[in-house]
Amino acid sequence: MSDVPFKNPGWAGNTGEFELSEDEVRGKDFVGERPKHAGHASGSATMPYMLPEKNPDAPLFEGEYQERFEKILTRYPDKQAALLPALGLAQELRGYVSPASMDRVAELLDLSPAYVRGVATFYTMYNKRPVGRYLVQVCTNISCSLCGADEVFDAFLSQTDTEPGATSSDGNFTVIEAECLAGCGFPTCVQINSEYFENVTPDEVPKILEHLKSRNTG
Amino acid sequence: MAYPYVSDREVRVLSKYFGDPKQRRIDTYVERGGYGALKKALGMGPGEVVDVVKASGLRGRGGAGFPTGVKWSFMPKDTGKPHYLICNADESEPGTFKDRELIRWDPHQLIEGCLIGAHAMGAQHVYIYCRGEFFETTQVLAKALEDAYAKGYAGKDIFGSGKDIDVTIHLGAGAYICGEETGLMNSLEGRRGQPRIKPPFPAAVGAFGMPSTINNVETLSAIPHILTNGGDWYRQWGTEKSPGTKLFCVSGHVNKPGNYELPLGFPLIELIEDVCGGMRGGKALKAVIPGGSSVPIINAEETRACMLDYEGCVAVGTMLGCASVIVMDETTDIVKQVRRMVDFYAHESCGQCTPCREGSAWTAKMMKRIEVGRGTEEDLDTLMEVTQQMVGTTICVLSDSVAAPVQSSINKFRDEYLALIRRGERVGAA
Repeated sequence: MSDVPFKNPGWAGNTGEFELSEDEVRGKDFVGERPKHAGHASGSATMPYMLPEKNPDAPLFEGEYQERFEKILTRYPDKQAALLPALGLAQELRGYVSPASMDRVAELLDLSPAYVRGVATFYTMYNKRPVGRYLVQVCTNISCSLCGADEVFDAFLSQTDTEPGATSSDGNFTVIEAECLAGCGFPTCVQINSEYFENVTPDEVPKILEHLKSRNTG
Repeated sequence: MAYPYVSDREVRVLSKYFGDPKQRRIDTYVERGGYGALKKALGMGPGEVVDVVKASGLRGRGGAGFPTGVKWSFMPKDTGKPHYLICNADESEPGTFKDRELIRWDPHQLIEGCLIGAHAMGAQHVYIYCRGEFFETTQVLAKALEDAYAKGYAGKDIFGSGKDIDVTIHLGAGAYICGEETGLMNSLEGRRGQPRIKPPFPAAVGAFGMPSTINNVETLSAIPHILTNGGDWYRQWGTEKSPGTKLFCVSGHVNKPGNYELPLGFPLIELIEDVCGGMRGGKALKAVIPGGSSVPIINAEETRACMLDYEGCVAVGTMLGCASVIVMDETTDIVKQVRRMVDFYAHESCGQCTPCREGSAWTAKMMKRIEVGRGTEEDLDTLMEVTQQMVGTTICVLSDSVAAPVQSSINKFRDEYLALIRRGERVGAA
């Protein structure tokens, strides 16, 4: 069973009958630890995600990441289609997508740097500047807003002592507002790095932050 | 162990195994009859599969409600070109949270539906385009897909039929507009997710310039059940024009929000009062958005008259959309919520078409002005006029989605706008 100190991490809530562990709800018991080279090529583009540990100077790409990048290329009829997954890979390694990262990806895919810049800036999930170990995205769209998302957002800001989009002085947290995360029935929905936390209320925010600080994975 | 939100009014076909982690495992899925529909379909001609889907009357679950079998029949035959089936899992319409549940609780149901669809349309490759935020969800899907490949249900020579069908999961990167089918195709190709002018339609010139069809997760998840049991079986639920079951995503001020699978044609008021346990805190109902934030708001009276099928929603001046029912009680600040929706659309406008790019930005500014008490009554007329110019004047319907909440809320809740304007006048804010 889950040893998580708060009531409803990443699932539909504290509803009595529903006695699954956090791992069972998230599917981690089923997925296990996916290899960095991503296993079967069919899922090679599914792994760009936010990790707590980032290395802004990580090479694009080598080792298992190079293997993953090559697998991605096999799944599309042309190289350009690998652009979104490749930018995601760069972000997974470096934590954000800098102009230098964009240029490198452009080179790898035979695209012009200007084209890659145009695409990368269209999508909000590519961080254009460094973020904290944990990127906290609070949905404040209608369904969550109806159920108090603004207070949850404020609680994250005050508990981490940051302004929206800024990184806390200990380097741990960057808190931003997000558009609908598709967890509307379980408000407020918060995405922290790659995980969803649902049914979050302001008084649970300190517990969630402690929980994150106390572990090393994202 | 029961899924947290269940009701005895439900007909659980697609959502039968929600809350059961064993269903993700391929052995359990197969024991429960899984991949039987794929085997059956591969023994049939593509045209026969399309006919079964046509007979079921299944309509696209992504919002538009176009008949799926008819859509499939638009795909050309014997072109010698690659054909693509794309599954739209870019679920991002505010209020909608069904696709994530369908994928993470029953990933094989979707994979099987994709493979059957690919066979029916002569597609050699299926792309499942998931929104980028769904990291946990896509890990479940990726593992399930890996298992399907290992068992030979995907990939080369499936069930010895000689058919090769590949499936690839693709992740978006945070853009609402990529849920629009041509925007999605551009995004899949590594472009900005800006919608394309139609025609040409995707069945003629789609992803990578090849014939393509895009179906929603829920649509494709229904396919294995329809293939196994037949079109008539599916028609036992729902109405003549809207057959079958549908997942209703209920959010907002009800006691038990969640996903409920119900026959189409279900009365909206019973969904709120019975299935969802009534209004939170026993408060009075003020308004409902029955189909996600892009459809017109209805008031309490219209809610009581609304039947949840494609036609029933149109009858009360709104749309079923993707059946994302957002419920608002008497404490709701309608102006604030509409402003929040408009902010969203202004942020997500792709910027191609002037009426949308400029209109959504100006609408957002005017809404904010009214919300803080600096509006005037003339602003309401201007809002109506501006949003009217945003309807039907752009490549896609994002622009129309701004007009829907603004116009319907001004028409139905004008007093709330006026109260804010009057209060501002009294304190001299203007």
